[in-house]
Amino acid sequence: MNKRVIRKSWFNPLSGGTGMWAFLIHRVSGLGLVGYLFLHLAVLNILRGGPDRWDAFVALVRSPIFIGLDALLLAGVLLHGINGLRLTMVGLGLGLRYQKQMFWLVLILSGGLLGWGMIKFLTR
Amino acid sequence: MINIMINRKEQWSWMLQALSGGLLVFLLGVHWIAQHYIVAGGLRTYQDVLNYLRTPAVFALEVIFLIIVTVHAFLGLRAVLLDTGLSNQTIHRLNLVLLLLGFATIWYGISLVWSILG
Repeated sequence: MNKRVIRKSWFNPLSGGTGMWAFLIHRVSGLGLVGYLFLHLAVLNILRGGPDRWDAFVALVRSPIFIGLDALLLAGVLLHGINGLRLTMVGLGLGLRYQKQMFWLVLILSGGLLGWGMIKFLTR
Repeated sequence: MINIMINRKEQWSWMLQALSGGLLVFLLGVHWIAQHYIVAGGLRTYQDVLNYLRTPAVFALEVIFLIIVTVHAFLGLRAVLLDTGLSNQTIHRLNLVLLLLGFATIWYGISLVWSILG
């Protein structure tokens, strides 16, 4: 396949329907999580600075902006994880005829767990 | 493209990606709950972190988590890059670079925890 076609199709989800959206959401969330992995490991370096530096960092991440970012992270984790389970099932030949419905279930489950998770997060 | 799909090495990559992903659903769930919902106030203080990591079972679990998440992350990155249509020689080099970066990431994570625990 032409390389330009491959790259262009990434950024044109309107061309492929539900399947393309599922692909795009999975890829974008995956890349976001890879970036977060490195950020997380880098941030944990703060622990080397001792209790004062770490506790100051913890106070910072309790701010509304960081709570919003945590919600985004949780959304990415849930979408990628639950959709990944769907992809594994489909890859093993299970539920092939119901791929689209399964993806809608992924979205509903992710939304529900996100709501529950953030309520628990904010009321802890 | 079709060659990649029936290539045995790529089948093993897919299986490893699926297996690591399945394990991560559990491990990440445990990690998220442990870090955000267990401690009073949600987030661990410095001493809470030390006490948490000093438990041998927890340390072992976190190391396993780090290894599996690194494997899954780099296999995923590889899959994304393969989709851009690389030559066989570039794929070979990419595999090597990602393998080295993966080992470096795991080594960094474990050495970081080790240095914190003193």
